Amino acid sequence: MSDVTYVDPQPTMTFFVRAKFLAFLLLAAAFLAWSANALELSPGELIHSLPVIGRYVARMFPPDWSALHGLWDPTVDTVCIALWGTVIASIIGLPLGLLAAKNINRVSAVRLASLTMLNVLRSISELIWAILFVAAVGLGPFPGALALGVNFGGILGRLYVEAIENIDPKPLEALRATGAGHLQTIMFAVFPQVLPQIVSYNLYWFEVGVRSATVLGMIGAGGIGFELVTTIRLYDFQQTSAILIVILLLVTAIDRLSAVLRRAIVK
Amino acid sequence: MNMNVAVDRLATETAVSGPNADPIISIVNVSKSYVRGSLVALSDVSFDVGRGEFIVILGPSGAGKSTLLRCINRLAEPTQGKILLNGKEVCDNRRELRLARQQIGMVFQQFNLVSRLSVLTNVLTGRLSYRSTWRSFFYSFTREDRAMALECLEMVALGHKALQRADTLSGGEQQRVAIARALAQRPKVILADEPVASLDPKIARQVLNYLRDVSQRLGISVICNLHQIDFAREYAQRIVGLCQGKKIFDGPPSALDDEVLNKIYGLRLENAGD
Repeated sequence: MSDVTYVDPQPTMTFFVRAKFLAFLLLAAAFLAWSANALELSPGELIHSLPVIGRYVARMFPPDWSALHGLWDPTVDTVCIALWGTVIASIIGLPLGLLAAKNINRVSAVRLASLTMLNVLRSISELIWAILFVAAVGLGPFPGALALGVNFGGILGRLYVEAIENIDPKPLEALRATGAGHLQTIMFAVFPQVLPQIVSYNLYWFEVGVRSATVLGMIGAGGIGFELVTTIRLYDFQQTSAILIVILLLVTAIDRLSAVLRRAIVK
Repeated sequence: MNMNVAVDRLATETAVSGPNADPIISIVNVSKSYVRGSLVALSDVSFDVGRGEFIVILGPSGAGKSTLLRCINRLAEPTQGKILLNGKEVCDNRRELRLARQQIGMVFQQFNLVSRLSVLTNVLTGRLSYRSTWRSFFYSFTREDRAMALECLEMVALGHKALQRADTLSGGEQQRVAIARALAQRPKVILADEPVASLDPKIARQVLNYLRDVSQRLGISVICNLHQIDFAREYAQRIVGLCQGKKIFDGPPSALDDEVLNKIYGLRLENAGD
């Protein structure tokens, strides 16, 4: 690293550039100060409450491992929510992604509609979707999977669009020239080109889904988060810490697994 | 108008193709201009392509050779004029266009294979137009299709590489796979758009030999864009010279003298003479 020599292409900064930079810094600082005020951020308050935070943390130790009893099923639920959430997300994202890609769909109105749809799904957080789905289909892991599926569908769809629009157009043209139909061209010239990227994105968002699913549990969408929030409500912080450690291990394991899979598949 | 076209066609046939009274493709007064910058790529080009004929379209880059080929299978829309395949107009209707394209194979300068698929699957994509979308949905082909694809690969001597990924092959081999893909369509015509421009001369000759070979053995007409004069002289039964979108020569290679070349390549040869 150290033997890389860096040559500054613009060695002299003009006075004007410096002034602009300074003005920008001042503006940013002013904005931060204003927003801190709006949040009632105060260092004094933080220092005051440090002992309280300390007391809570102290009450977490030692972890009460009896919390692990009966934790297996909710943990499996959490992973399954993430898994099905990602599957539903692909089912939603892939058709919308194809319809929104410039090189696949020439009808700009349909393209715009699909993009808008993806934006809507994406901009409403999975927590809000979960609240809606819990209200609609009741408590449990199912609304959790739906919520993840819908929100991640919007995110994955957007990523698919980028992947599809960046493929090599030449094989596409060759297949069109053979007289192959639209869907056939997609199956044989588009999918083979985007498959590694799609697999990689899905694995990554499955990973994110596991983390997200633990949070969804807290609002009644099943899984390990539900157990976690129960111990907090009962002020049983020793059990809370035991469950947090389980979550930590789970998320780490899933991260590792998906990293290994991605490396194996994307070649 | 129609009368004119008929007379014009008759004239070309008697003058050039002689007994060839039943052309596989007729290019009739085709013009193409791009709206932006009002660039004229083709202006009023007409000629017939006989069955089994090997035609080379010769011209400098930018002469409109590529546009002409792409107008034939409607990868580009002609602004004026029409293309007849087997006496029937190649039109925009989706189903009819599919049937027309089925009979017209195309080979590209950059081979245009799907690099992550196997060589055999690439050749099999030439069969897609004969098969239902539902079948393709499962990446499934009939036994006959697979046998035919292998046979097409054998014709370009690449049967032994059928199961390799397409991007593991050399440029010349990839172009032969592309020829096999076109053959799998059971085409009447193959359009070859600068098929050897990105290959070195030795490999280029090999690829052109395969192209001429299948043309002669299977009676497939070939319309081949080239910019190399020596290749054109060697492989063409007939040469069509294009310059700035206009047809300025149409005849056998023996008639391609310096005067004609001067017209096709215009300024370039004049400069070379200086």
